[in-house]
This record gives sequence, C-alpha cells and structure tokens, in this order.
Amino acid sequence: MALTIEVFLTRITFALYAAATGLAFAYLFSKTEKWSTWMLRLLGVGVLCHLGSFAARQYLFWQIPENHWFLSINSFFGALSYLSLAIAGTFFIVEGKHRLGILGAFVLPFATIGAGAAVFFADPKIGGLSPALQSYWINIHPMVLMTSYAMFGNAFGVGVALLIQERQIKSRKPSELCYRLPSIEELDDLNYKIIVAAFPVLTVGIIMGGIWAYNAWGRFWGWDAKETWALITALIYAGYLHMRFVKGLRGRKAVYVSMLGFASVVFTFIGVNYLSELHGYLSGRG
Amino acid sequence: MSRLTLVGLNHKSNAALAAREMLAIVPAAKVFELLKSEGVNEAVVLSTCNRFELYFCDEREREAGWASELLERLSGAPVEGDSYLLGDGAAVEHLFTVASGLDSLVIGETEILGQVKAAYEQAKAAGMTGKRTNVLFQRALFTGKKVRSDTAIAVGQTSVASVAVQMAETIFGTLSRSEVLILGAGQMAEMTARHMLSKKVAKLTISNRTWERGKALADTLQAAALAWEHFPSALEGVDIVIASTGSEKPILHRAAVEAAMQRRGGRSLFIIDIAMPRDVDEDVHGLEHVYVYRLADLEAIAQKNLSCRGQEMQNAQALAGAKAREMSEWLEALAAGREVSLKHSAAEKI
Repeated sequence: MALTIEVFLTRITFALYAAATGLAFAYLFSKTEKWSTWMLRLLGVGVLCHLGSFAARQYLFWQIPENHWFLSINSFFGALSYLSLAIAGTFFIVEGKHRLGILGAFVLPFATIGAGAAVFFADPKIGGLSPALQSYWINIHPMVLMTSYAMFGNAFGVGVALLIQERQIKSRKPSELCYRLPSIEELDDLNYKIIVAAFPVLTVGIIMGGIWAYNAWGRFWGWDAKETWALITALIYAGYLHMRFVKGLRGRKAVYVSMLGFASVVFTFIGVNYLSELHGYLSGRG
Repeated sequence: MSRLTLVGLNHKSNAALAAREMLAIVPAAKVFELLKSEGVNEAVVLSTCNRFELYFCDEREREAGWASELLERLSGAPVEGDSYLLGDGAAVEHLFTVASGLDSLVIGETEILGQVKAAYEQAKAAGMTGKRTNVLFQRALFTGKKVRSDTAIAVGQTSVASVAVQMAETIFGTLSRSEVLILGAGQMAEMTARHMLSKKVAKLTISNRTWERGKALADTLQAAALAWEHFPSALEGVDIVIASTGSEKPILHRAAVEAAMQRRGGRSLFIIDIAMPRDVDEDVHGLEHVYVYRLADLEAIAQKNLSCRGQEMQNAQALAGAKAREMSEWLEALAAGREVSLKHSAAEKI
C-alpha cells in the first residue's frame, strides 16, 4: 500500500514522541535541565505533526461522500492516534504550564505506546462509515470519552511519581530524584485536580453514548460490555472522589484507587473490544 | 597591550589569616583609590569572609612581589607569600571557578554567586568598570548559574538545618503555607527555627517545658508561644514539628500522633527529631502520612550530598573551564583589535 501523508506523519509523530520519552528518562536520571527543554520542544513538534496527520486523515476520510463532516476516529488506528494525541497534548499543556517536565517519564510512555500501536498494529485503511455510525454523535461521543481517558492517563503518571516520591521520603535515604520530583502534596493535588476535571468528561461522554444509543438502537442502556466497563470505570473514580471528599483519603492509598480506575480505563479501551458486540468496531467484530 | 590581572588571598591560606581579616573590612572605595594611584581605572573588588580578590585591567605586567606588597599596604599585615597573582586566561579561569562555587569551602554553595554580583555592581556604581570587566563579570555570573543548573554541583543541601528544610520542601513544596511547631527552646531549636523563618513559613509556634524560656525565644523570633501541656492538641494543625528538647525520655509517642493524624484529613506531617537522646518514639514513623527524620538521618543526607558534589567536581570544572576559555579568546581578540561574538543573549539575562 502506498504510503499516505497521513501515515507518514503519524510515523514521524511516533518517532518524536519516542525521542521525547527517551529524553524524559534521560532527564529523570541526569542532572541537567536541557533534557527537559528539549523534551518539551520535541513533544511540541510531535503534537504539531500529529495534528497535521489528523488533518490529512480527515481530508482523506472526507473523500468518501458518506463520511462527510464525520470525524475519522471510527477505527482502531484513528482511536489510538487520537488518544495518543490527547495524552501528549494534555501533558504539554498541564505539565508544561506547571513546569513539571520531570513527570514526562511517567506520562509520555503512554502517548508513545498509543502512537506506536497505531503505527505498528492498527490498520490505517480508511473506509466508509457504516450507517449506524453516521451520526453527529460520532464527532462527540468517542472524542469526549477518549479525552477523559487521556486525562486519566496523565493522572496515572502523576500517581506513579507520587508513589516513588513517598517511598523515597519514607526511606529516609532520598536519592537525587527526590529533590527533583515535585513534593508529595503537589503531586497529590495535581493527581486529584486532573481526576476532578476528567471525571465529569467521562460522565458526560457516557451519557452522550446513552443518548446516541437511544437514537440509534432505541434504548439508553443495554449492558453491552463497553457500557458496563465504562460504568465500572466511572464508579471507581466516583469512589476515589467520594473517599477523598468524605473520608479525607489522600496520598498513597488514594493513588492506588485511582490506579485501579486507570486499569479499568485501559481494559475498557482495549480489552472490551473483544467482548463487545456493539462497540466491537475497533476490533472489526461489530 | 591590555591585560587582565588578579591579585588575591583566600581561605586556603592559613598563614595570612590576620591579613585576610583586615582585608575583609577594607572599604572598596579605598581599594579603588589605591589602584587609581597605580594607574588602574578598571577594577572589581571581590571581598568576602573567605576571599579578597582584585580583578583589574591595565597595560602593565605585574610581579608577585608587587601583588603581596599591595595586599600588605591594604591590610597592614604580612601575607607571607600566600597571595596569588594570575594573569589573563588563568585569572578568567579562577573567576569562573569562584563564581561556580568550586573554590568555596562548601563546594557549589550559591552565596558566592550573589557576592560576585554585588562586587561587580559596586565597581560599576563606582565607575570602575569598562567593556572588558563588564563582559567578564556578566559572563562569570552566567557561567556560575549554568554550572549549577547543568551539573549536580549544587544539588542537595549540606547542613543539617538546610537538609531539614529541603526535606520539608519535598513533602510540602513551598513552605509558605506550612505551620511549624518547635518543641524545646535550646540552641538547636533556635537555629532550626531561624532557618524555617527564613523560608517564610505561615506560622511558627514554640512550646517548651519551662514556659518562661519558651516565651522568651518566641518573643525574640516573633513567634507564638504554647504551654507545654497543650502541644499534643496542636499536632492536629501543624505541618512540621521540630523536636529538640533536653528530655531523657521520648516526649512524642505513637498514640498522640495517631490521634492527631485522624483529624488531619490525610495531610502529611513531618517530624524532625534533632534531640539527643531522641524525643520521638521510633514507631511514629510507621504511621501513614507521617515522616520522622532523626538527627542521624539528616547528617547522613548532608554527608551524601557533600560527597555527590565532590564527584561532580570534575564535570563542573570542565564546564567552567570551557566557558573561561571562550572568555579568554574574546579578551585576546579584543586586545588584538578584533571582536568575536560570545553568546551574549545568555549573558544578558542575568
């Protein structure tokens, strides 16, 4: 198959994300600030390339008349690519703004894995949308949900950093990394803030799915595997917020709960495609 | 031909201690005056308790005898041949090494950078700087910063009090919202309290078994005093506890801390036990969100940081040396009537 501009740009993006991740690890174990600066620069260029590949994919997608004005995140390739873009973009905005480049090593691997999976394992082929998917909801529902997944991915990375920092300080023998990571309270606060912001996005995304399902299939909720797991994810994060608000659960234990939530996100995104009849479009089952 | 000369005396000389002490209090104006009488119009005086150094530009080549005589005239005490005289490239390298904290007693310390800056500004205000000294000192400041950010020379604190503050910062971030409770009113308690105050903590409370002594220290530091029997209930609201009493038995037990933690809503509590014998029961550290650091822990960290800095010496020296060579080339080119470009943009940021 001929190399389309879209696939080419995605490959470049993957290379840039991988390089930025490499720099993030170098920065974690080195002493100089320049790694962080270059990491953010490469990431910035990567995000731009990614947007470019998205635009190119969109253009090709719209060459098929029935696809007009619908977004092309209907396939595994499109979904992975968008998810990876959202993770990288969220990191670029949140951590870049807070000067937390040191967290790159904990978050960027997800963006790289997402882009890498798209490049190596997913089929970039563009086809016509099936009639069931020809709805304006396809422009909103998956996008909103994957945005929340990307935010939860960022929160997970921050949580890993918190666990490391907590362990360092508890050990009474901190390594140099300890002085360079943000403080326990800052990491805890950031982890919480990202989840607080992501939770409503997830909830809205699920409700939108329900409305779309009502329009398309005549029922709001049908216990399809994807629906069930999305609900489980939402419940875990709701539990996290509840424990935090009501019980004052913070730090290490709060992070464990949020990590459970993220495990559920990963399963909902990838694993469930092989269980779900209705959302199996990503694995080609549906 | 124009040259750069350095005349100095530093902490490495023991013999000339008296001269060094005198030089530390010589006003810069007097130094400038003396140099002017020697025909020097472009000079910077770097005078701290650990060093006295004159950097100046003129046409003449100086000899070691002239340098020690100059220092003796300024100090009125013998320098015993401990002074050093360096020219051009060697003088530049020395200044860059000094600014990078590599010639300091505590390697990598940052105070010297501020002192170099102050020395340069003082000379500038006195109208004693010119093109060469301006670029030289701006470049030295830039290098000092770069060495500290690009190498691990300044990573980790090296004294017990500053390690305690740094560890507090790894838990709470900025300490401006943290409340501190100090148990005890002895010398160590006061020293650590002052260190905390310098970090602009939100509130400092002192609790001592003898009310009067605690109150007196609290008044000196403009802190709050708390009756000894009330300190366990204060654990609920503070973030950092510094235990430094002369008690022979531990005064802070697990039960009291556990009770306080239940009302803290998961906020971390940092307990610094610098008392000898110890003030805090060992099992307190096992509580969730509680971090107890003992004097020995802080000392071990300070020691480790110091040896890390030592290991980083070579990298730092290489970087300072490279920047010094660039600078020397610039000076040489200028003397030969050419102008080469330095990375000015970086230097101007300072």
